[in-house]
Amino acid sequence: MVGAIFSQALREYFRFRRIFPWLLLGGLCYGLALFWPHLIKGATHQEQYSSVSSILAFRILALSSAIFTTAIVSQEVEGRTIVYLLTRPVPRWILLVTRFAASVIVVSFLGSLAMVLTSVGAFGKVGNPLLLNDVKAVVFGALAYGGLFLLVSLLVNRAMIYCLLFAFGWETSIPNLPGDLYHLSIYSYLQGIAQHPVTETSRALNAVAGGSNANSISALSAYLCLAVFTVATVLLSAWWFTHFEYVPREDAE
Amino acid sequence: MTNLSRWYGQVIGLNDVSCEIGPGLTALLGMNGAGKSTLMRLITGQLRPTTGSVEIYGMQPFANPEVYRHLGYCPEIDDFYERYTGRKFIQYLARLSGMSKSEASDRTQHVLEFVGMADRADRKIAGYSKGMRQRIKLAQAMVHDPDIILLDEPLNGLDPVGRREFMNVLAGLAENGKTILVSSHILFEVEQMTRSLLLLHRGRLLANGDLGVIRSLIDKHPHQVRLEVDDPRRAAELLVGLPNVESLRYDYGDRALKMEVRNPDSFYDSLSQLIIEKKIRVHGFSSPDNNLESVFRYLVES
Repeated sequence: MVGAIFSQALREYFRFRRIFPWLLLGGLCYGLALFWPHLIKGATHQEQYSSVSSILAFRILALSSAIFTTAIVSQEVEGRTIVYLLTRPVPRWILLVTRFAASVIVVSFLGSLAMVLTSVGAFGKVGNPLLLNDVKAVVFGALAYGGLFLLVSLLVNRAMIYCLLFAFGWETSIPNLPGDLYHLSIYSYLQGIAQHPVTETSRALNAVAGGSNANSISALSAYLCLAVFTVATVLLSAWWFTHFEYVPREDAE
Repeated sequence: MTNLSRWYGQVIGLNDVSCEIGPGLTALLGMNGAGKSTLMRLITGQLRPTTGSVEIYGMQPFANPEVYRHLGYCPEIDDFYERYTGRKFIQYLARLSGMSKSEASDRTQHVLEFVGMADRADRKIAGYSKGMRQRIKLAQAMVHDPDIILLDEPLNGLDPVGRREFMNVLAGLAENGKTILVSSHILFEVEQMTRSLLLLHRGRLLANGDLGVIRSLIDKHPHQVRLEVDDPRRAAELLVGLPNVESLRYDYGDRALKMEVRNPDSFYDSLSQLIIEKKIRVHGFSSPDNNLESVFRYLVES
């Protein structure tokens, strides 16, 4: 039963039409990394990679998570196919968590692909000293963003709007706020895992990359915080989905 | 269902409904907005009751997987995973019902044959006609061999031949001991399917049971009887003396005697006796308001 849900969700998420825009964005990461020395004179390969991954690849992670995770329930509700799923002898929480797992895999894949293509653009090869940590950050980011967006999609209508606002508004601005407020951003924890060296780029680019503040989050505490956050949001989502009604709205009398 | 009510904010969807539904084919009848779909969704556990309760085999259905083992639901909506083929769609839902891959495949083939879709099941759903989509919906409701099947307006959009075939399929399921609940707002269709009814109006259960019994309980409206005879004047003289006849008139245009009677069973006994004893030649006999439309009209009016 779980296998059927998982494989169906994975096939759905990995449909070529669905991932094609993300492959293009991955190509954009490659192009930007390649072009970076023309923007910032004298940037090293590591700086090229670090800047592009912070500015673009991690945004792709948040964006893809917003789009794939909110689709877990809202796409079925809007497509009015949820009725077929909710009237089967499968516990709702299993349905939710299994589809969530599939979405995390596809988001991790797309985020990692963006990192790899950035690496190829910056270093001219797949591997680089920062890549492994970045891929770990991508996986934890997919989990944490996914958990949060999943919960939001269950709580509010038009969740995609709020999730995109979070991904591009909150996640860009909060890490730059003074004091310890950056702790309220998932991206700050991803930086804690990635441990990119501080680069000497312009102040504006640092702000776009969310790196205006000195980030004191260690990798270990970042792993722990994101893991706890993910578990809490997914558990809460599973509880909510089990206890509340999900009927296509326009279909209700 | 016990005192089952469901509110949508300030709007009442279903109001204090109590009844039991047993094996066989039962029709859930009501106009648009009567609360049929709400009742279906409460029984299928998609909605929670605001007050009261609904139980299937002693279990509350809301989000209860154990209930869904016994229950198949054919929704009114016409939405599917359009990229899937009919077979793949049914197989997926069979797998969600806990079947192994091979079980799901065998069972899918079986139900596709049952609903007459086996030869077209490998085409994408997006290319299906309305009738084919209805059959696929029925097949998905039956794939896990549930004891209870609920069908929300299943005949919508079907052509007359398709309707007849669909009704035969439902009759076959009911004969096999399944509990079938079919909602409809088309009286003519329902009348052809079953005489066991649940009549809903503005969220309230107006009547529940056999159509004939329900009709006989409506005392406010005498039953109408139409009789075509050789000698209407003589027949009228004889008939007017029967105890349950309330009124009698001869319709020249229709060339028939029209009566209003109480206690129809008793009247029919005395009528048949009178016809035999007095050798009245009868060419035609009907009871024009002994149908669902009249019953429904009387109940809604009251």
